[in-house]
Amino acid sequence: MSRTRARLAATSAAVVLAVTGMSGAAVADAAPAATAATGSAVVTSSTTFLKDQALNGIVVIPLPTADPAYDSTTGITTTFPVTGGSGDLPAYYGDIDLGGGLLFINLFTGKSATFKQLHFSVGNWQITGVPVGGTSPVALLDPAGDSQVSRANGVQTLTSTDLQVDPAGAQYLDTKLKTSFFKGGQSVGSLAINFTPAS
Amino acid sequence: MRKTAAKLLAIAAIATSVATVAAGTAVADPSTLPTLPAAQDIVGVGSDTTQSVLNGLSVGYNAALTAAGNTTSPRLYSWDATGSSPITTKTGATSIARPNGSGAGITALGANTSATVDFARSSRAPQTGDLTTDLFVALAKDAVSWAAKNGGNAPADLTTAQLKGIYECTITNWQQISPSLANATIKPFLPQTSSGTRTFFLKTIGSGTPVVPGTCVTSGTQENQGSDPALNDINAVVPYSVAHYVGQVYYGQGSGSDVQGPLTVRSVNTIAPVDTVNKTIASGFASTTYGRVVYNVVRSADWNAGDAHATALRAIFGVGGFICTNGGAGSTIVKNYGFLALPNGACGSTIHI
Repeated sequence: MSRTRARLAATSAAVVLAVTGMSGAAVADAAPAATAATGSAVVTSSTTFLKDQALNGIVVIPLPTADPAYDSTTGITTTFPVTGGSGDLPAYYGDIDLGGGLLFINLFTGKSATFKQLHFSVGNWQITGVPVGGTSPVALLDPAGDSQVSRANGVQTLTSTDLQVDPAGAQYLDTKLKTSFFKGGQSVGSLAINFTPAS
Repeated sequence: MRKTAAKLLAIAAIATSVATVAAGTAVADPSTLPTLPAAQDIVGVGSDTTQSVLNGLSVGYNAALTAAGNTTSPRLYSWDATGSSPITTKTGATSIARPNGSGAGITALGANTSATVDFARSSRAPQTGDLTTDLFVALAKDAVSWAAKNGGNAPADLTTAQLKGIYECTITNWQQISPSLANATIKPFLPQTSSGTRTFFLKTIGSGTPVVPGTCVTSGTQENQGSDPALNDINAVVPYSVAHYVGQVYYGQGSGSDVQGPLTVRSVNTIAPVDTVNKTIASGFASTTYGRVVYNVVRSADWNAGDAHATALRAIFGVGGFICTNGGAGSTIVKNYGFLALPNGACGSTIHI
């Protein structure tokens, strides 16, 4: 019991440290523009995924400047602000830079993984993040299901009815958190991106 | 025992036929079939650029159904952009003029029901004037460059501004490009007006605003066909689908008039369009404004009906369908026709005006 309590205490401390340390860490350098890129990526984690997470001791915490909200019907909605990028959704190329970060914790093992520098890689159709202490991005989430892209009045949008764990992300997280919870193709929820490039 | 051997032989035969298709056997227009496609089959018309890959996909998809013992699901057929006209696309269909090009295919989709046309091949994105009820389903990536006769007067590279000048007829002599080039009149050509490649090219060289071709431009060549005698000219310049070119040159997908002939595709803004080592569109070129996505266009009502017809459309074109399963037979066929496969999830996504 005391060992578990110690683990949880250590985890909590890690969360606080990570949250404190991550503020604004994901903001990528961008060339000055007259009008900065704007928009957001909204990830909705389904109640099914949240329940499975809880049963496996997995907690996912959005880090500043990501903005989480909860609805008992739809689940947790996390809004990641667009901070830059030159992505072109209808042309399927480029990147969209996102603010905030993601902290994954396994409450059963006390292991955690933190990602910063989140991007939506339009060309690869993946949300990626760079692990703290690392330099190479890891593919975390893939839009799937019915996906609709549009461009109107300079605003690009993508809505996907499904958002799945990328196989590379699943492998990374399972190894790092010492769990077998994550699977490639595992449904997390849905995704909605709106993006207005810098002009 | 004999039955088992027969089964194995049959499986081997099917495997060989699917492999042959994947490798890229040229496939004929449905007009050459002994019978019309059935009323329930999925038939398409339109773009010249994607007609070959859709022919390959048709044979591959139908073979895959047969190999799986599926004799009831709708089969896929695609009518070429050119050939005999009018055409009756399938059993019970209305006879229509054969649509030549993306625009004509999209018009035919809007003017008919699924009793005649189920989808339109399109090498351009949705644009003002298209029906808001049409969904453009992403198929693959292509790029458009320009081509000229090998050994002719054209340089290896032109800038976007130079291409714009050539098609607006403000640049009419090679020496306006460089004094080192021949003192000869440039002959710019364009595909016919319904061509998606033409639309895309003019918009791209105009940096988003379509260039209005000048009087020095000759319109009407069949796109991506270097065999056109008019293009066998040392001063000719014409837009060309890079995927179609790669398919013709490296994968033997050309046949008859659908060949590159004496043309080679050239660089734009010093970026080469073809990765000659990997025999594909150069990724650096595909990620410029000269890169494009090609589509199959369906009616939104058909796509979202939730019935057997919608199921058939999605089984072919949708996310996780025959074409869009990465590493699957459809994806292999797409690559063997020179196109770049879109990632899982992006292939099969939809866009509309």
